[in-house]
Amino acid sequence: MASILLKNVVKSFGTFVGVQDMNLDVVDEEFLVLLGPSGCGKTTTMRMIAGLEHPTEGEIRIGDALMNDIDARDRDVAMVFQGYALYPNMSIYENIRFPLRMRQVPKAKHDDLIRRAAEMVELGPFLDRKPGALSGGQRQRAALARAIVRQPQVFLMDEPLSNLDAKLRASMRVQIKHMQRELKVTTVYVTHDQIEAMTLADRIVIMNKGVIQQIGTPDDIYSNPANTFVAGFIGSPPMNLIAGTAQSGTFSSAGVRVPCPANLSGNITLGIRPEDCQIGGDNLQGQVYGVEPTGDITYLTVRTANKNIEIKAGREFRAPIDSAISVGFDTSRLYFFGEDGSRVGVN
Amino acid sequence: MASVRKSGGDNLLVRYIILGSWAMVCLVPILWFLTIGFRPRTEIIVPEPIYWPTWSLDAWRLLVSDWPIALYLRNSVLAVAGSVLIDLVLAIPAAFALARYEFKGREDIGFYILSTRMMAPAIVAVPIFFLFKNIGLLDSVWALMLIYAAINLSLVTWIIRSYMLDIPKELEDAARTDGADDLTILWEIMIPACLPGIITAAVIAAIFAINEFLFTLLIASTSKAYTMSVALANFTGGSDGVIYNAIALVSFIAFAPILILVILIQKHLSRGLTMGAVKG
Repeated sequence: MASILLKNVVKSFGTFVGVQDMNLDVVDEEFLVLLGPSGCGKTTTMRMIAGLEHPTEGEIRIGDALMNDIDARDRDVAMVFQGYALYPNMSIYENIRFPLRMRQVPKAKHDDLIRRAAEMVELGPFLDRKPGALSGGQRQRAALARAIVRQPQVFLMDEPLSNLDAKLRASMRVQIKHMQRELKVTTVYVTHDQIEAMTLADRIVIMNKGVIQQIGTPDDIYSNPANTFVAGFIGSPPMNLIAGTAQSGTFSSAGVRVPCPANLSGNITLGIRPEDCQIGGDNLQGQVYGVEPTGDITYLTVRTANKNIEIKAGREFRAPIDSAISVGFDTSRLYFFGEDGSRVGVN
Repeated sequence: MASVRKSGGDNLLVRYIILGSWAMVCLVPILWFLTIGFRPRTEIIVPEPIYWPTWSLDAWRLLVSDWPIALYLRNSVLAVAGSVLIDLVLAIPAAFALARYEFKGREDIGFYILSTRMMAPAIVAVPIFFLFKNIGLLDSVWALMLIYAAINLSLVTWIIRSYMLDIPKELEDAARTDGADDLTILWEIMIPACLPGIITAAVIAAIFAINEFLFTLLIASTSKAYTMSVALANFTGGSDGVIYNAIALVSFIAFAPILILVILIQKHLSRGLTMGAVKG
C-alpha cells in the first residue's frame, strides 16, 4: 500500500512528446483512472509508473522512494495488461504462481496464496487448464489473480476490459471495484471508456495530447468540466457545444438564445448536457433530424443552422423527421467556455 | 449467404484424381529407387525394365559385411546433432538480443549475420582447410560438427529471431513486473513460447548439415570421419564394379531421416523458410 507521486514528468520519443510536464499525486488506497482518447499518453504514464518506460525528465515516487532508477522487477507493482499476457506454456496455477517464485516467497505459502487469489476471482475449478483453454473473461480473471496473489504496493491496469464483450465488461467492472476496496491497494487504471472511468474511479485524470486536462471525482468532472475537451469527452452522448457570441447578458447563436453572465462578451461556446434540455421552451428552435428510441429513453437530434444538438427526451417521445421543434434549456445548468476552450462561468 | 459452390462427388473425384496423379509422378522415382535397393544385382541393368522385382536382401548383406555403414551413420548423427546443439546454444540468446534489446546497429548486425550465409562456400574452403589443419582437427567428426554449426548458425539465429519478434511484448512486460530478470524471461517465457520456431530452425539446420558435402569432403580425408553424404559419393563397389542396388539402399538410408523430419515439421517449414519476411 503506497501513494504514487509524479513530479514534472516528461516522456519524449525522439521529437514526439508523449507526456508533457505531468504532476500527479495518487493517494494511498485510491482508485485513480487515467482517461483519454488513444495516443493521449495515458498508457505511457502507466508504463513509467511500472518501470517499463523511463521518464525523460522528472521524478516518480512510490511511497517515499524515488523510482526513476529502479527496475520494473524491483518496484513491487503488479500490472494487468489489455491482452491478458498470460504465459501460454504454463497452467493457470503456474501463471498465478510465477510472481511468487520470482519474488522468492517461501514455497510452503504458494499453494495457499494461489488458491485464495483464484477464489477471489472465481477461477478455482480452472487452475490446471492452460490459458488457451479459457474464455476471454476467464483469462482476464486469471490475469487479475496473478496480479493480486503477491499483494503488491500498487496495481496498474492497462485497459483490462477492452477485449471483453459488453455484458462481461459490466460484471468484471463490479468485480474489479469490489476487489480493490477489499484489498485496499492503490490502483491506477487506464481506459478510454468513460463509463469504466465514471463507475470505477475515486478520481479521474483526463488527458489529451500528453497533457492533463482535469483531475477530479467523477461527479466533479461531470458537473464541472474544466474545458471543452473534458465537456465533449465525458457523457453519453457528450455535452452539446454550441459556438456563438455573448453580449450584455445574452448568449446567441443561430436558433439559440439563452441568458448568460453579464460579464461575458465576444466569442463564447455554450455547453448544455442532453439531459438538461426539455421539449418545449424558447431557448432553441430547430427541426427534428432523428429520433432514436432505446426503450428507457429516446435520443432526439435537433438540427439548427450551425449544428446538430443531442437531447435526451422521454421514453415515449416521437416526432416526424423535419418537423419544427422548440427546446428549453435548464438555465441553471449552462456552461460557458472562452475562445481558448477553458471554462468562463456558470450561470 | 454467398452462393454455395458445387463441391459434390464429381468435382471432388476429379480433384483427387489430379492430385493423386501428381503425387504418383513425384513419388514413383523414390519408390522405384527403393525397389532397386531390394533387387538382386542381375535385375538392375537389363534391356527391358522388370517392373515387379524379385525381392532380395543381397545389397543389405553386402553393406553390413563389407562396408562400415554403422560408422558413417554414427559420424553423420554425431556431427549433425552436435552442430544443431551448438547452433541452438549460440543462436537462442543472440536471437533474443536481436529481437528485443534496443542497441545501435541492431538491424545491421542482424543483416550481417544473415549475409554470411550468402557467401559461396568455396571462397572459404581453403582457409578453413588450413585452419583445421593447424589446430589438428583434420579428419575428425568434431571438426565437421564445428563447421556445420558455423554454416547454419546465421540461418538458425534468423529463424528464431523471426519467431521471437512475433511473441507479444506484453508477455515480457508482464514477466518483468512479476519480478523476472532477462535470463528468466528468456528461459521461462520466450523459449517455451517460440518452441515451434526453435524446432523448425533445428530441423532445417539438421537437413542442411546432413546434406553438407563440400567441407565434409575437404576435412574427412579418410573414411574415419566420413559421413553418409561423402561415403555415398565414394561408394561404387570398387573392384566389383558399380553396385547399383547397394548404392540405392545407402541413398535411401541417408534420405530417410530427412524425409521423416520434413514430414514431422512440414506445417512449420514454409513459415521457417520465409524467415520472418511476413510478420504474423
